Amino acid sequence: MYRQKRNRLQPGKFMTAAYLLPSLLVYLLVFILPVVLVIVMSFFKFSSIKSFAFVGSANYRTLLADKNVMLALRNNIFLVLVCLVGQLGIAFVLACLLNAKRMKAGGICRTVIYFPVTLSAVVIGYVWQFIYDYNYGLITYFMNATGHGDAVTPLLAQVDRIMFYVCIPMIWQYVGFHLVIMMSAMTAIDKEVLEVAEIDGCNGIQKARYIIMPLIKPTLIVCVFLCISANMKAFDHIMTLTNGGPGYSSNVLALYAYNISFQQFNMGYGSAVSVFILVVTAILFVISRLPEMISQRRERKGEK
Amino acid sequence: MKNKRTLKSYLGTIVINLIPALYAVTCIFPVVWLFYTTFKTQPEFSIDVMALPKSFTNFTNYSYVLTQMPVVKAMFNTLRVTVIVLFCVVLFSFINGYFLARFKFRGSRVLSVLYMSNLLVPIHAILVPVYIIFVKIGLSNHWYSTILPCICMELTTSIFLVRSYMDTIPKELEEAASIDGSSFTRTLITIVLPLVKPVLVTCGIISFFHVWNEFPFSLILFSNEKDYTLPLMLMRFKGEYFTDYPRVMTSLFVSIVPALVIYSLFSKQIIKGMLAGAVKG
Repeated sequence: MYRQKRNRLQPGKFMTAAYLLPSLLVYLLVFILPVVLVIVMSFFKFSSIKSFAFVGSANYRTLLADKNVMLALRNNIFLVLVCLVGQLGIAFVLACLLNAKRMKAGGICRTVIYFPVTLSAVVIGYVWQFIYDYNYGLITYFMNATGHGDAVTPLLAQVDRIMFYVCIPMIWQYVGFHLVIMMSAMTAIDKEVLEVAEIDGCNGIQKARYIIMPLIKPTLIVCVFLCISANMKAFDHIMTLTNGGPGYSSNVLALYAYNISFQQFNMGYGSAVSVFILVVTAILFVISRLPEMISQRRERKGEK
Repeated sequence: MKNKRTLKSYLGTIVINLIPALYAVTCIFPVVWLFYTTFKTQPEFSIDVMALPKSFTNFTNYSYVLTQMPVVKAMFNTLRVTVIVLFCVVLFSFINGYFLARFKFRGSRVLSVLYMSNLLVPIHAILVPVYIIFVKIGLSNHWYSTILPCICMELTTSIFLVRSYMDTIPKELEEAASIDGSSFTRTLITIVLPLVKPVLVTCGIISFFHVWNEFPFSLILFSNEKDYTLPLMLMRFKGEYFTDYPRVMTSLFVSIVPALVIYSLFSKQIIKGMLAGAVKG
């Protein structure tokens, strides 16, 4: 009976193939093939599509000795860490406030705070370039207006603090994204739990730390995951804001791979850097899953 | 004592409301600033960057940007790519999501793993091979060059959304239709499609903003000015005009108007849709 039912609904092999092949072919051509190719190409030296020369692991040896790659990696990790703290921290605080009973304009605040997420990173990069601008920037304006005019400096030229200035637009843009995710998780919390806590004399901060945070932990883990993957992909913002400068001080891996491949036309080495990005991303994902995996293993051991 | 208490809670309410409101102001203020600066001239701007313009009817920046910079052309290019990509993504994710949710066939597991693998690979890592492949098969430097990469980038989340939505729909309707003699394709279009329409709208919303703002693939695949999409056009033309700030800001503002309008009209649905994509994808 069950078999018959399934047969009636399920189309034949030919039909299935006809439906699924178009998208699969596109996907194989534009995604799977490139992933395989990038690994293959990282063992070659070439600058155009005509002349390929096999160089073995030379690209990887260059990579490991390349100071700029390590600097870019450090910047990437810095970016991920600062954005984890900044984006998730600000979003969590705001989400708690917006979900509070005494909040009057929660809906409109959420809508407005989410707005930057829908903007193109190129636009965000330029808008912040205007904000940071030495002559006409908003920061310069406010410094002058508050009487700190003599402290005005060209912000985007400060080598040692440039990464902070690069992080701020990215934090600013994506707070809304995490805010919305956290708010929806918070509305799912049973109201009674919070009321009981209030009766027991919990203040707002205690409520956030000891009740809300543990209850939305699965969502927070999703946010961490999304935050890491978004910031490993940082490219457009930095390209438009500083283009990796001054020097290489705000370079990140994706931008470095692009510049090597498409500005210096050293595509073999660019592929090696790309493979490096893949490896680093994979490692970061594993690290971010570790606490969860360890606690799961502990639970399983406890059951035994 | 009681007075003190109410005063304190009153202050608390103000603080609670004020912090998010202030943050919201910082989110919208740059756009407002952008907007009113578009009516200023460069000398006006350099005297006082924050002051309101002398007149809100000074459209010289707009006329310059719209006639001298390929903004309209770029907007048309972006729209054309976006519409085609959205159509394909919705169609492909509908079919794939339906098949993966309903049927077990040879390779169905491999297929779903293949599509999911997209989540682990940052697109910037495959720019070089995509460029090489597209140059080899002659797909680069046409207005349609970025369509295929964009489809691939959007497919994973959409397939996953359709699939998990299909799981919640009982298959009795389809069975009844097939008992009544409806062919597979007809059932798919007349019965299943209307049922999954809400989730397809969600897929469309998520993909719209991604494709509209897509940058890396445009950067490597377009080299003719006539093919430029909006973000790429802004990138390429900024350097030339960077001495005239209001003019650059006008081009920025014009480029965000479509997103701004769509967002203010459908913000509820958009937030809901993006949320579904983020949490489940």
